[in-house]
Amino acid sequence: MKKMQIKTRSTALLVLLLSVQNVLGQDTQPSSWKERLHFGLISEIDMAYEFKGQKLQKSEFIFKPELAYKFNKKVKVVGRGRIYAELSDNLDPGEPSQLSVSDFNKRLLIGDRTEVELRELYVHARVWKTINLRIGKQQIVWGETDGLKLLDVINPQYFREFILDDFEDSRIPLWSVKAEFPIRKLKVQLLWMPDQTYHSLIDPAAPFFPKSVFPVPPPGIQTALGPPGKPNDIVRDSDVGIKLSALIKGWDITANYLYYYDDFPVFYNSLSWLSTGEPLITINPKYERHHLLGATFNKPIKFVTLRGEVGYTLDQNFASTDPSAPMGIVQSDQLGSAIGLDVIKGENIISAQVFANYLIRDVPAFNRDRVEWNVSLLLSREFMNDSFKAEAIWVHSTNHGDGMLRPKLSYWLSSNVQVLLSGDIFYGNEEQLFGQFTDRSRVSTGFVWGI
Amino acid sequence: MNTLKISLLAFALISTQSFVNTDSLPEASVIVKNTNQRDDGQFLTQTTTLELIDKRGRKKIQVAKSFRKYYGKDKAQAFFYQSPTNIRGTAFLTFDYVEKEDNRWLYLPALRKTRRISGSEKGDYFLGTDLTYEDVNLGSKISETDYHHKVMGTEVIDGRKCYVLENIPKTDKLKKELKYGKTKSWVDAEIWMVRKSEFWDVQGNFLKTLHIQDIKKIDGIWTAATLHVKNHKTQHQTYFRFSDIDYKTPIDDGLFTEESLVNGI
Repeated sequence: MKKMQIKTRSTALLVLLLSVQNVLGQDTQPSSWKERLHFGLISEIDMAYEFKGQKLQKSEFIFKPELAYKFNKKVKVVGRGRIYAELSDNLDPGEPSQLSVSDFNKRLLIGDRTEVELRELYVHARVWKTINLRIGKQQIVWGETDGLKLLDVINPQYFREFILDDFEDSRIPLWSVKAEFPIRKLKVQLLWMPDQTYHSLIDPAAPFFPKSVFPVPPPGIQTALGPPGKPNDIVRDSDVGIKLSALIKGWDITANYLYYYDDFPVFYNSLSWLSTGEPLITINPKYERHHLLGATFNKPIKFVTLRGEVGYTLDQNFASTDPSAPMGIVQSDQLGSAIGLDVIKGENIISAQVFANYLIRDVPAFNRDRVEWNVSLLLSREFMNDSFKAEAIWVHSTNHGDGMLRPKLSYWLSSNVQVLLSGDIFYGNEEQLFGQFTDRSRVSTGFVWGI
Repeated sequence: MNTLKISLLAFALISTQSFVNTDSLPEASVIVKNTNQRDDGQFLTQTTTLELIDKRGRKKIQVAKSFRKYYGKDKAQAFFYQSPTNIRGTAFLTFDYVEKEDNRWLYLPALRKTRRISGSEKGDYFLGTDLTYEDVNLGSKISETDYHHKVMGTEVIDGRKCYVLENIPKTDKLKKELKYGKTKSWVDAEIWMVRKSEFWDVQGNFLKTLHIQDIKKIDGIWTAATLHVKNHKTQHQTYFRFSDIDYKTPIDDGLFTEESLVNGI
């Protein structure tokens, strides 16, 4: 099996090299290597102080080098890395688990506090005049929504800071192939993701461990966690997707289909009896495949942009509150939808979104209603020729009454130096998604320097 | 007495002639038409360096690669930030149509998403500079549809004879949309290019001055290599410096797509 995987990898690499070689000689730009080469480095310092714990919640030092080389107008190679150090070792204490990460995608861990990661490495080539081909480790984003995700499920995520981290940083890039080409006025995007990396869950002792999504066994009953049932065939278990997009009478419309493994495993339960006669619940996590059908739209009307997104997932399994549910699981199709309005007036932006998530079957899923409603509101204003920005984001679950508020100030000291001051305030019932982090409310300050 | 009357009349005529010699001036519509008919090439590729200077003299420098292509009278423009590293990858695409509403997309690398943005706010400031989207869209041309024009006379700017045009937005709605109560344009009488513009806000306060400099012929087309804008209210200034200007190399339609914003150049 191992040999077969290596052979498949070698073939994929060969195809990649041949594709590049084919277009390398074309349309060469008469510029020096210095003009073709780009090197950049972004350095970030981010500190957060937790109100309740009266302690430093994080002290991050992040370096993001970027190297790009343009062979000609049609071919470029881009590489991005990240050196990450969390000096207080609080967000994911101890050695971070990489159980859900594929062999190709693992981070190099240096002690408990520092890690080095190849964030992206891809070849982008324009072949046969109209086909844009991107091969390598990359991020691919679908959808129109901000903050909460419906169709943006191609790349998994690292939940070290719940959803507070920028998606750019928390999204885990995958080794994948993206091809884009037009057919008349229709634009086609084809995706192949052979990389079997899923969401990185953090240590249960970590401050942002999402305990609200895991059912707690009855008191006094022992539990055991089995090994995750993780796909491992690079071809058979790869994800594939297609996106069709068109601009029709001012409406920007896409239709999406993704055949993928959900990045969250399903936790199957089985009850057994120990030799002492005590009950034991064994939890067996298993990653499962789904068909996701989706669509997005947007259209500006005067100074308002209307945008929306729907995603329909077939046969999704959920942990259940019903003790008689087989293996503790119930199944339903799921419809997610969102509609948003962006109002841009000068330097002011108001962006409002409403999310509705509906279980097609009325099943007793754990810690959720059949229809879940969330709303979000972004208010933003730029001052001083965009040097200074004040914004606030509010996300609220109308079903459970919990949510979060995120005010933020940012100021450009010079062309490449930015300072930040922000707050992340959670509220609501501690058994709910946002409310569980009420004690994690914090104030943060940051510094970003780019060269 | 008659001699005095004749002298006064003669003085009045001479005085008037020295300020506005309207008899020898072309009609405003002719100046606007000639300015707008000036060839500015079907294709344009250039590097744009933005120098933003605040009232304390603090500078921000941003470099972008920009592309423009005409499709008849409609126009597509794409703007890709190259530096500083913090904003590298940010890209902006516009389709300016004569007959229908414009289309604009903004790609933000931090979100990895292309955002459709409304195109109706002509008076919004362009990416933190002192020019509005409409100013940038017009370049060194004059809007025929939004303003009533009046020839005020001639003046010399940068050693060149220029016609002075006063431009008043046609309606109060347009004033609010453009965020100008009045503008003045100094049009080179020989090459039909705007060399200077002044702007007043809707309340009638003097707002800003645009000085178009380093005008030279590139690929047979009169081209401005520097724009300097000073906002007199905020004392903020912007220099637009254009280099690597190329009118000859055809630009592929594929560059003016949302995918291109994401993929970069």
